[in-house]
Formats: sequence, structure tokens, C-alpha cells
Amino acid sequence: MRRVVSICSLLAIASILWIDQCVAIEPEQDGIVFFETKIRPLLAQHCYECHGAGEQEGELRLDRYGDVIRGGKSGSAVVPGKADASLLITAVKYTDNDLQMPPDDKLDKTQIADLISWVNMGAPHPDAGEERKMGVQSNRPMPFDQVALEHWAFQPPREPALPAVQNSAWPHSPIDVFLLHRLESAGIRPAKAVDRRTLIRRATFDLIGLPPTIEEVDAFLSDQAPGAFERVVDRLLASPHYGERWGRHWLDVARYADSNGLDENAAHANAWRYRDYVIHSFNEDKPYDEFVREQLAGDLLASEDPHVRNERLVATGFLSLGPKVLAEPDKTKMEMDIIDEQIDTIGKAFLGLALGCARCHDHKFDPITTRDYYALAGIFKSTHTMDSFETIARWHEHELFDEKFEQEKATHEAQLAARQGELDELIAEATASLQEQLGASAALPAKPEESFPEETREKLKASREAIARLTKEPPRAPTAMGVQENAACDLAIHIRGSHLTLGEIVPRGLPAALVSAASVSIPADASGRLALAEWIASQENSLTARVLVNRVWRWHFGRGLVETTDNFGLKGTLPSHPELLDWLAHTFVSDGWSIKRLHRRIMLSAAYQLSSDYDAESAELDPRNELLWRSNIRRLEAEELRDTVLAITGQLDTTMAGPAIEIENYTLVFNHTSMDETKYDSPRRSVYLPVIRNHLHDSFTLFDYTDASLPNGNRSTSTVASQALYLMNSDFLAAIAGKLADRMFSVGLASEADRVDWLYQTALCRPAKEGEIIRALEFLERFDRVADGEGQAAQRHTAWQLFCQALVISNEFVYVR
Amino acid sequence: MVSAFAMWRNKKLADQALISRRRMLRESALGFGSLAAASMLVEASFGSGGQVLVSPHFAPRARRVIFLFMKGGPSHMDTFEPKPMLDRDDGKPLPFDKPRVQFAPTGNLLRSPWKFRNYGESGSAVSDLFPHVGQCVDDICFLHGVHGTNAAHGGALLKLHTGSDTFVRPSMGSWVSYGLGTENKNLPSFITICPTLAHGGVKNWGSAFLPASTQGTPLGVASRPSTEATMKYVQNNNALSDVQRSQLDLLSEMNREFNGAMGPHDELEARLKSFELAYRMQSEMPEAQDLTRETTATKALYGMNDAKTEDFGRQCLLARRFAERGVRFIQVTHSNTDVQWDQHSKLKEGHEQNALEVDKPIAGLLRDLKSRGLLDDTLVLWAGEFGRTPTAQGTDGRDHNPYGFTVWMAGGGVRGGYHHGSTDEYGFYAKTGKVHVHDLHATLLHLLGLDHERLTYRYSGRDFRLTDVGGQLVPEILA
Repeated sequence: MRRVVSICSLLAIASILWIDQCVAIEPEQDGIVFFETKIRPLLAQHCYECHGAGEQEGELRLDRYGDVIRGGKSGSAVVPGKADASLLITAVKYTDNDLQMPPDDKLDKTQIADLISWVNMGAPHPDAGEERKMGVQSNRPMPFDQVALEHWAFQPPREPALPAVQNSAWPHSPIDVFLLHRLESAGIRPAKAVDRRTLIRRATFDLIGLPPTIEEVDAFLSDQAPGAFERVVDRLLASPHYGERWGRHWLDVARYADSNGLDENAAHANAWRYRDYVIHSFNEDKPYDEFVREQLAGDLLASEDPHVRNERLVATGFLSLGPKVLAEPDKTKMEMDIIDEQIDTIGKAFLGLALGCARCHDHKFDPITTRDYYALAGIFKSTHTMDSFETIARWHEHELFDEKFEQEKATHEAQLAARQGELDELIAEATASLQEQLGASAALPAKPEESFPEETREKLKASREAIARLTKEPPRAPTAMGVQENAACDLAIHIRGSHLTLGEIVPRGLPAALVSAASVSIPADASGRLALAEWIASQENSLTARVLVNRVWRWHFGRGLVETTDNFGLKGTLPSHPELLDWLAHTFVSDGWSIKRLHRRIMLSAAYQLSSDYDAESAELDPRNELLWRSNIRRLEAEELRDTVLAITGQLDTTMAGPAIEIENYTLVFNHTSMDETKYDSPRRSVYLPVIRNHLHDSFTLFDYTDASLPNGNRSTSTVASQALYLMNSDFLAAIAGKLADRMFSVGLASEADRVDWLYQTALCRPAKEGEIIRALEFLERFDRVADGEGQAAQRHTAWQLFCQALVISNEFVYVR
Repeated sequence: MVSAFAMWRNKKLADQALISRRRMLRESALGFGSLAAASMLVEASFGSGGQVLVSPHFAPRARRVIFLFMKGGPSHMDTFEPKPMLDRDDGKPLPFDKPRVQFAPTGNLLRSPWKFRNYGESGSAVSDLFPHVGQCVDDICFLHGVHGTNAAHGGALLKLHTGSDTFVRPSMGSWVSYGLGTENKNLPSFITICPTLAHGGVKNWGSAFLPASTQGTPLGVASRPSTEATMKYVQNNNALSDVQRSQLDLLSEMNREFNGAMGPHDELEARLKSFELAYRMQSEMPEAQDLTRETTATKALYGMNDAKTEDFGRQCLLARRFAERGVRFIQVTHSNTDVQWDQHSKLKEGHEQNALEVDKPIAGLLRDLKSRGLLDDTLVLWAGEFGRTPTAQGTDGRDHNPYGFTVWMAGGGVRGGYHHGSTDEYGFYAKTGKVHVHDLHATLLHLLGLDHERLTYRYSGRDFRLTDVGGQLVPEILA
């Protein structure tokens, strides 16, 4: 409510200012004279034919003051006092591809300058006084209703009071109090606490995306001192694998990919630097507000340290990673589409808002107007994302500081200087001896070189060639995708989203309904990206912290408190536990935006440590487990599945960081040949495998990996037969099963029963039960009868391999309880 | 906050049915989901057998689609829309403005190198590029006023396949699968044979935000012979089938034990059953692709006895076999490494080779479908991503032209021997009976019994459609 008032009063103030401005520009006699001598004749000569009394193309008429101000189809032609915001000026300057007037002949410089002066003088006109009395003023009704403004997500999170609960023994933390309060109201008792084996498996997968080793399980089981689980959580948070797992979650949101996708699948050969930046940021627990600022405006943050500077430049890759229609023949459309993708991604990723909806019309549900959209679009129009729009368009890359490159450059420059010196010396010597030859007083020929001896000329040629070679191949600095500032400018509203029908020009800014007046200030010469970043990363923003804590909750529990993690608008789902969400958001911000401490807070709660045991009574009352009476089971994600089978077979290469693809930057990953040469055979963690849009690796596509073109904080879990086919029949799984059997044999176990047990421990983090051992041995024997034609040992190995495969594709293996 | 909770609860109640239906689709659709009968799904996929046909919005005219995609952009004025004025004004400048946005500059008008003949009772004119298809004109409904938005291959492919050349959206095959599900529980609902990986690649058969079960299953790729067009992982190279059966029995037992401890759980149950479905697909898919069961005469009908037409003939024959077996949407792509319908130069040589490769197989497909009674409820769609310019690029080529081109349909409820719309007298712009790509999609869905405005999916806060905010049924072409 408070906000509604402030917005209405803002508009009121704006109207007053507008009228004030009109009053302030009382037509001076000089101005009228200027209009009559310079401007009216110019308009009459060049404009009236199409925009006068006879014809009004585009519904625009320029022979009457009121019509000039009201403008035509595209909006107001002149904003008195603001040449930059006046379509008339845009048109005559010929700076916009689609709006150039007069159409055939550009006005000369003086004429354009006169028009600009006239507008900046306040567009003095003899009829101006009359029109003002009639009330020519900007009159913008609120396009959305109170409901939109009162929507819960647009109110600042407050620290809620803890509700009362009966069972005071159960809660470990305020999180539990909020949850228990709701469970008790529904008459549901939380499930019992989970056993330690299951807990360490759950925590380890959750935090690092890998299973615990047999030793880690044993250590946890035998640690009887208080705080044993806390120590496990801290160990996992300190692991470098933590950043690989949680950085990957963020990469989903950032629609990270190593190729462009869409129409022309050009290689993002340097995108990996952004991926590594994200992993690194999670590992060092970079405060989330800083993480946000760096990705939106890292290039604008001051830093003395060149490595910090590098990191911040790389961070802006976030804005450049989107899929682009690189062969779009309509270049203006391409640019606006790229800007749209940036705005939409920012909205979904940080604010949980579908800002892109306002490109063509005011948002149907959320308080975002087209005006807001183009105020944001102006920020990105003033941001340099692309170096070229010509087919195939090229995105910008930052040059990064690099010691090795600096050395190479210095060496190269020295070599060049030395060569040049040699050349100069050679010429000087040869010229001197030529002079000597001709006599001191004789004039040298116009081209003395032609008179040098043959041998000298050969030397010169060789020397020049050497210099040319060096010049041609200078050392190249490492580069990274990213953005920088462009010349600042405002955009016109694109009516129905089309760059061919332009409306009123709107100043760069932030969504009016979501911003308090004081926080917007975009300098005339700045894009406004920094202001946008500051606003998003501020605790004043009611969305940012909520959206983030909800993401983290989703990635731990399988479902967000707000189920639509990327949409907190009116069409998103309402929070199941609004107070808990606010408590988490509030604590998160007051605790320095630390994500690692947020994990601890969540994981040390009783709620996180619930078992997943079924209870018919509770299920009756809350079948979807929305109140969280038990732990949700979850399937391993595509990366976890692959990484885990590599890990338990001893093949996982844990090398961190580095390039993902070997393809030259900007070249197509595949063209008409439809052959994809991308290599996926590396045994490194999946986060380092290439992410090729339009042709993701099979094991990714099949297991609900993110699309990599759209921001996605909520991967789905589909269960389809093609997954089963892959698990049953792919060479990869067959090889994994073989390796697991090999490893089992290499451990030196005494009996077949021990082997079965070792496999259960390794794959499922628990010992095999007696019945399971018997069943396994029976399977192996039965197999003996089925298989034929092979030697005994080989046959046995194959039997074990099939058993291993069954184990790693079983529900118990692929689900975390 | 109290009121927020109350609102939440009310909204939950209101959305309950919707959510459970969508969750069902998203999370436990085993094989191949369907909109209208999500509750039937598990049963349908694993029940006692029998065909699953879901009730569409209204009576369907077609039950499945075969989409013959001509990658690169076949020229309409050289194939199915004769332009006598081009002959007359060959070499002269185009007497009106060229479009604001063009892919490449073009010069003056260029006449067609081919003669047109009238075929069938309808007397439809078809150029000498398509003598076999010419014989089928009375079953074909030509749309001459089709227009798109994008003059580049990538954008135009995405527009045609997904309805958007700007955003990542589900493909039309996915929408159809989403809307109608499959008629055969043991086969995918959407199969694309030899698709191209360029210009949108997977996006052209992807499901984007629709349930993964609706995505197309690719068989092979465009640059490899169609003999290699098989479904990945459908064959096991490492275990004998009876051995695999015992392995699956063991797996099934282990899974049942695990599931038991978790209580009733759709997703876990679905996973248990997915292995059985996969096991059945292992035999059904190779059977569907086994062309040895086809007679020599049938193969000859598709041109499989001729090296020139053998490759595309196989694709068309496979399409018929999948159609017979209840696959809902089958796409066949004509494109390979060297030859696409993209003649920026050497129009004559290029189009002649392309047409030769597809003409007989397409006619064979139409005849075969008809003789088996399949053409009545199978909609065959023939389209490129755009047409070509009547003006010359270089001396003997034509540029991309999304502003007006020909697409045709046959069977499944369309008027045979009918010509709808036209381009201008030279063939540059759609002029009469204009059909935007969105309109084409709306009409295609209509023929399948689906209302394009009601076939929606909620994603990121709003309901999406194949036709975005456009699309109008073209009623004139309905039989």
C-alpha cells in the first residue's frame, strides 16, 4: 500500500514538473523570431508535403503546434526542451535505421542544428500559449491495478515472529518452528530423523554432487561426539567440489552454454571462463550481492588488482551468453532481440519476473509497463554486447590481463624494435656508403635504395619480410565474452514490440512500480547498468534475496517454497510458507548474503534431517508433502549420475577449470554437414563437458539436463523409456559396469559374498543384506547356465558386469533418499 | 501474511486438477504423454494393450502427420506456381519495391527454366521437375500464398518448426504429441528421420518447456545415408537377449523392494515400468524399420530400385510404416551435405537433382498411403522453410524468399486438387489467400482435432501456444 501511494504521488509530481517546465519556457520574443525565420520555412519546404494540411502520413501533421506536440502514430514528435527525446530530431539526424526524414534527402548540418536549438529552446511557437491552456500534457494512467502492487512479492520481507508450537523438543532451528507450526495445524507429525548412512549420502550428493566414500561413511558412523553432522557439512562446504555442484545450479539459471545454438551454432570458445568464475565464486562464498553486481556491471566496478579486474570482466559474460539469431537479416531486430533476451534473463534469474512480457504490451499481470521495459532496454542499448551485427554476427570479448601474455608482448615488441633497428641501421649504412660513392656534395637519387648493391637489397628484403611476419602474428591476449559501455542513449517505445513502429522515447530507468524514487539515478553518460545492478543487489529490493533463498531451498528439498522458482509475479505460485521464506531472506541478507551459511542453516535443521519413510496417515492429509512431513526423494541429476559412475569405478578425473571445446572461437560447431565433432570422452566432472546448444550430449538430454538456452532454476524429472534404453544398452554403461567389476576383482576380496557386499557399500553406501547376497549369487549362477561359448573366467566376469550394471541403474542407486 | 496463506490455499484448490494433470505429464509420463487423458496414461502405456486414442477438442480429420521437409527453400515459381509474366519480363527489373529486409541483393527478373503441364481432373499446373507428384495433384491441396518472417535459413526453419524465430519454443511435433499422445504404446509419438543438425538442429524437434516425453526421436542425421537412420540405444550390443531378460528381472526385483519402502510413488512406479516398455521397444522398433517385409513392387513404388531415389525412398517408406503403427508425427527431411534446395546459383542443376531425388518417392508415398486407406486420416505436409525470389541472384540463381511461397498438403481432410491463394504476378509477395506460418499451424492442428487457441501450456507464468498470439484457420482448404 505504501508503495502505491508513493507511485501515485510520483506521477503527480511528474505532472506538476511537466507543467512547470511548460511555464518556464514562456515564449520569448527571440524564440518566436527564431521559429519564424529558421524553422517554419524549413518545415514548410521539407515536411508539409507529407505532414501538412493535405496529407498526414503516419497521422503526423507538422504545420500546427498542437499536432507537433501530440505527434502521430509513433508518438510525440517534439518534447520541448529535449532534443534527444524528440522523434523529429531522431528522424532528421538519420541515426535510426528505420526513422529517417525527409526520406530522400538528409537536411544539411545547419538545418539540423537549427531544429535541435529550437527544440532545446523549448520549441517556442506563437501558438504555444493557446495550446498550453488547452492542457497539452503527458497523462499516463496507471496501467495496472492495486492488486498487482499489493502482491506479496513486491512488499519488503520482514523478520517474522516465530509462531508457537506444541512439540518444542523437535525443532533444531527457526526453520523447524515455522514448518512445525504448519504441520501441527494440519495434524501431521514429522517423520523420524533419518539414519546416519542415508544422511551422509544425502548431504554429500546435495553439496558436492558425488557419493561419500566407504571411509567417509565409516568416519561419520563412528564419530559419536556432538556436532558430527555439522562437521560433515563443513567438510563438504570446504570441498572444491562444492563449487562444481552449486556453480552448476547457477549455470542453469544463467543459461550457460559453449555454443550459441539457435540459427547459427557458433562456438563460445571462451565461455568456460565464465563457468570457472561461477565455480570459483561459489567456492569462495562470494557474497551474493557482489556476485549479482559483478555479473551485471563487473566492468564498471573499480579494481586495482588486475586479477580482480579480470574476474569482473569475465562475470559480465552472464549478459552475453544468451542464444542469438546471428544470421538475422534485419539487424535492428537482431539487436532488439538480444536486448530482450538480456532483460528477460535478468528478470527471471535475479527477480523471478517475466520482464520480457512487457516488450509488446504492458505486462498482463505484473506491474511492469512497456515504458518500464524500454527504460530497461535503453540501458542495454547503451551497453556494448556485439562487435558486429553483420552475418554471422559477432559478440564482444574483453581482453584479459595475463602475465604470460604481457611477457610475450614485451618480447614481441622488443623483437620488432630490434628488427626495425637492424633495418634502419642497414639503410643508414647503405645510404652513407652510397653518398660516399657519389661524393659528399652530390644529391642522392629520389629512391636511393634502387642504387644499393644487389646484396644489400636482398638483405633489406629479408629484413622487411621478417618484420612483416612478426607484425602479422602478434601474441594474442586471452579474451572472454562480456559487455562494456556503449554511447548512452534512450529508446523509443516499440509499439507492439516492433522496431518499425516507434513511439515515445523513454529515459533509461528501472521498473517504476518496484523502485522507490530516491534509488534511481542514471548519469547522462552512463548506460545505467551499474544503477540496475545496485538496485537488484540491494536489500531494498523485495525480490532478490527471496528469489535466491528460494532457489537454494529448491535445490536442497526438490521443491521451492515458491514452486515457480523463476516466477514470483502474480502468475507464480504463492509461497507455501511465506513467513519461513521471509525469515530465510531476512537472515540471509543480515548475515552478509553468504550462501554457504545459508546451507548450514538449512542443513542443520531437523527438517533437512527427516527420513523419507512413508506414513499413510500423513500422506492422506498432505499427499504432495507440501508441508514437508518427510524428506522428498530425488533422482540424481544427469551430471550426478555420470560423475558417480565414473567415481565409483575409479575413473573420475577431478582436474578443475579450463576450456570445454577445441573449436576456434566464433566458428560453427556444425554446419550443413550435420556432423558434430564435439568430444565428450573426457573422464572429468560433467560440469566441464561441452554444453552444445541444439545438440546436448545424450546423457544430458535424456536425464532432464537444462535446455541451456533458457534460464532454468527448476529442472524437471521425467521418466521415459528412452532413459531405460540408454541405461540398458549404451556402450558407456556397459563399459562402466565392466570397470566396476574389474575394480571389484582388484580389491582382493576373499569370497563372492564379500564382493557383493563391497559392491553394495561402494554403490549404495550400505552393506548388503543376507537375502541380497543370496539373490546376487543365484543370479550369477543362473547366468552360468544361460551364457555359453565362453571360457569360465570370462563368463563369470560378464555375469558380474551384468550384476554391476543392474546395481548402478537400480532405483536405490539413482535416487537420493 | 495470513491473507497470503488464505489466498495460497484458495489458489491451490482452484489449481488442483490442473497441477496434478501437469505433474502427471511432466513427471511420470512413461512413454508418450497426452494432454486429455493424463489419468489414463500409465494404464494406457502399460495396460492390457489396445490402441490409445485420446479425445481431441473436436472431431479430427487426420490422426497423424507426415511432414516432408525440403531443407533449403524450394522455388515455388519453378515447381508448383507458374508465372507466365516471368517469361514475358525475363531480364527486366522488378516493377515494384523489393522487401525492406533481404537476405542478399538480387538483380532483375529471371524466368523459370522449366515448362509447366496440367495434370489430373483439376488441371493443376506442375513443372517438369515433379512429373510423378503431378500424377497425384487431385489429392493435393496447394497453398500458394504462404508467408513467413525470416529470410535466413536458421530463423525460417525455427519459424516453420516451432512458430518462433526469436525464442526457444516447442516444435509442432511436440505440440501434437502433447495434445494427442501416441496410438502405439511401444513407439515414440514423434519421430524425425534424417533431420538436419544445422539451423536450429534439435530445436526443430525439441520439446522446449513441454514434457520431455513429447520431444522428437531422431533417427540418423541428414548427412548420413538413411540406411543408418536407427534409434539410438534400441539395440544391445553387449548381451544376448535372454541374458538381458534375466538382468532386467533382477533389476525389477531390486526396484520393487526399494519402492515398497517409499510408499506409493508415481515416479518410482513409472521408472519400474519404463524398463519393461524399453524392453518391448527393443523388439518393436527394429520390426517397424525392417523393410525386408516389404515387397519388391512396394519398394519400386518408392524408387528404392534406383540409386538416385533410393535414399529418400527409404525415408518415405519408413514414414509409412511408422504411420501404420500409430506414430503421431513423422518428419522426413530432404537435405544432405551437398544438396539442399538452396540454389543461390545453378538453379537448374540444383533443383533438377533435388527434385529427381524426391519426386518419385513422394508420389510413391501418396499412392501407397491411398491404396492402404491411410491417406484418409494421414495428413501429408510438404514444405521448405521459404520459397525463392523471382529475381536473379548472380546470373542463374535465386535468393531466399519468405514473403510468398507454396506449401502443399494431401490427405487427412484437405481439399484435393484445390489451389488456395497466390503470390503476385512474378511470385515475390503472397497476394491473395495469404497464409502465415501461424495460420498453417492453426490449420494443421485443426485437422488433427485440436483448437490452436486451446492447446496451451503454462510456462513461466503464462499460457503458451504453437501459434503464439496469432494464427487463423484457413477454412477454404478443408474438404
